[in-house]
Amino acid sequence: MQNVAIAMQNVSTANPQSEEQFAALVDAGAADPDLCEQLTDLLREDHPCYDQRGTATTVRMRGWVLLALARTGVSNTGLIFVLEELDTGADAYLVAAAARALRSYPNPTPELAPFVMRALTNIRYRDEPVSFEGYGEYADSSAGTSPVCELLATLAWLGPHARGVVPEMESLRAEGELSKKRLIDLERALQAIRARDQNGKTDACCTVPGGLRNTFSWAFGSRRDSGPIGSTLFEDQEGELITFREFFGGQPSIVVFFYTRCDNPLKCSLTITKLAQIQTLLEAQGLYDQIQTAAITYDPAFDLSERIRGYGRNRGLRMNPRHRMLRATDGIEALRRHFNLGVNFIESLVNRHRIEVYILDAEGRIAASFERIHWDEQQVVNRTIEVLKEKREETTIEVSADGPVRKPALPIFGTLASLGIAFFPKCPVCWAAYLSVFGIAGLNQIPYSPWLRPLLAAVMLINLVSVWFRGRSTGRMSAFYLVSAGAVAIVVSKVFLGWENAAVWGVALTFAGSLLSALSSWRSRNSARSQGIVGAVSE
Amino acid sequence: MTTRRRAVKKARKAAKRSTSTKKAAPSRRMSPKAALSTATSARKTVKQRVAAMAEVPMEVSQNDEGLQSLLDVLRNQEEPVKVRLAALQALQAANFSVSSFGSFRGEYFAALRKVALDPDPELRQRVLGVLARDKDGFAQKKLLEGLQHPEKALVPPEKALQLLSYDAHAEAYSIARDVVSKSTDEPAKRQALRLLASDSTAAPIFEKVLRDKEEFAQNRQISASALQSLKPKRLQVHAREMLLDDSEYDDIQATSLTALAQFGDDDAVAKDEALLNSVDRLSSKASPTIKRRARRFLSKHRR
Repeated sequence: MQNVAIAMQNVSTANPQSEEQFAALVDAGAADPDLCEQLTDLLREDHPCYDQRGTATTVRMRGWVLLALARTGVSNTGLIFVLEELDTGADAYLVAAAARALRSYPNPTPELAPFVMRALTNIRYRDEPVSFEGYGEYADSSAGTSPVCELLATLAWLGPHARGVVPEMESLRAEGELSKKRLIDLERALQAIRARDQNGKTDACCTVPGGLRNTFSWAFGSRRDSGPIGSTLFEDQEGELITFREFFGGQPSIVVFFYTRCDNPLKCSLTITKLAQIQTLLEAQGLYDQIQTAAITYDPAFDLSERIRGYGRNRGLRMNPRHRMLRATDGIEALRRHFNLGVNFIESLVNRHRIEVYILDAEGRIAASFERIHWDEQQVVNRTIEVLKEKREETTIEVSADGPVRKPALPIFGTLASLGIAFFPKCPVCWAAYLSVFGIAGLNQIPYSPWLRPLLAAVMLINLVSVWFRGRSTGRMSAFYLVSAGAVAIVVSKVFLGWENAAVWGVALTFAGSLLSALSSWRSRNSARSQGIVGAVSE
Repeated sequence: MTTRRRAVKKARKAAKRSTSTKKAAPSRRMSPKAALSTATSARKTVKQRVAAMAEVPMEVSQNDEGLQSLLDVLRNQEEPVKVRLAALQALQAANFSVSSFGSFRGEYFAALRKVALDPDPELRQRVLGVLARDKDGFAQKKLLEGLQHPEKALVPPEKALQLLSYDAHAEAYSIARDVVSKSTDEPAKRQALRLLASDSTAAPIFEKVLRDKEEFAQNRQISASALQSLKPKRLQVHAREMLLDDSEYDDIQATSLTALAQFGDDDAVAKDEALLNSVDRLSSKASPTIKRRARRFLSKHRR
């Protein structure tokens, strides 16, 4: 089994496999419940195993992984892939496999039912027979299963959780467009939904089940620098050349990815239509000139400027210097790396991609993304307005060769405050005694300043809070504990007689804690930058 | 007044005529039910059955038994091929009505996949065509297999390439490139070039074929058209060079003229003395077709 795990990790084009070998590996992985997450990982569109495979091959491979998950059980991590397929899938085999996989999810909830119903609506006119018997098999008899059959079985499995979609199921029955066999399946599903829990509540619609991550946000200070792709050259729909920095620097932008040869009407075509709707919303809110929109093609070699212009225009997209359709003149690779795009290719042609929308801040850095599941136009606009309103003064920024870096000023300042408060003289006599030590430097001229103590105490407190925030964002709280212990020691040394020596320990602990906090924050930023993901926080 | 009376009489006569025509129609046309019965009856002649098939589609989309009996005819290798082809045509017509035929689609496609392997080549080719137009994975797999292993081929290579070209995602580009570079089968090569017209990496192949005077004119014209789609600026460069080349063939120069006239940069062309002089020469000494085009081209650029 360990060999299987290693083999699954090594699935890539560097280690090219035939489809049959891939299928055997997936089967072996499915036999071990511990490899569920590795199986799920094979569903990432950008996984190397799909590189240089055709679309039909990719469909067969992904379908087989979904069927393996149907046997092992879909985890919370895998659920988003299953729902994505139901939400936007147009291939009968993949939708049927996803429907079957969903039935292995251990926690059926009402939020899943709308996804199943949407898939039913999308695929009902492509209800082709499918075969799950062996890898890559195609059914030549209608005796087996089909996407509609699998989806109806999944609704029956959801039982009372699918109460919210009963009206849609009933109208499907009334339309009389299902075959006799499928009508029987539909009746069975309706019975299962109504059989139990007659008093169930009306279910929520169109929300993603709790805990699922399809929307991500990055805090202002933790965004990945756009410097590495700043000079990436684009050609827009009019043939005009512009760099990433020139277009995306200065104003927040909403960016979608698409390609004109996408044959799934629920993906690229709909994405561009929705981007046009976003433009309408921006105009209605008076933000059309303050927030930019851009549609970037995955397929710049084929999608020439004239082609993307026609594609956008046919979908109601308005184009001008602030709202453009773009093709990267040197290929998609740099953008693919920067955005971690969920896409794969056979030569220059896309074989599979996810839905992805990005919100960039005024420096061209990714502030938020919406992935896989269909996004709501108003939600995207609202999030962009938040980015537009961001107060940059909140963070001290300096520009280095690598881009903006947050200054570690506060920890040092806080340590100095702790030092000040620990050794602050209690009275004018002590003040005079202290200063006499430095008399040689002429410091004895400084007047006694009792107001300095509360000021130093406040700064020490601010340092404490800041270390706590930093600890929470990096997930390492040890620095906070050290600084807290230091603060307590300093307070004790000032309040209780005979504990004056604790002040030295207090200052040492505060200094150590502040230093540790600054270091761990710096390390965390560096590692995130190298991994390409910076502090993703589920919204 | 007389005129009005005559007009009324005329209108009445015309109405009578149209009513009598309408009444006569059912006696000439078969009811869909009778048509289905005739079409599926082995006792009727092939001619009668084929004629009856034309009346069948609407009936099929409304009744399950009708569809089953037509599918049985299509699948049955004992039935005459002409009748099976007519059954396929009837089913295709019924499939056009998506909402009413939707519930039978599964059975229909299952039957098509079975018949795609039928011993009769014409039926096989027609069925594979229906499946390929629907971007069916099964059909694409079989067609690709046939191109890679000719002993497994269900249709001739040029047909397989044509059917695969319906879907840009059909994984056929690398095979098509092999056919262009290695095959001596001219129709297959032509289809491979057509298929590659949507492959953005194939521009160098088209540039090579376009400039190769040993190539068939049709292949060179396909290449010009593909290049216009993939790299329009490169086509402009080649078109100009081919017009300046006195040893170039007339039909290719005519294609070049069209490319420059329709898609060229008018300002650049108007300033290009060498090009205009070359076209001027063509307008007087070449074949009548190219003469006409050359004169039109020159008049556009005021010469």
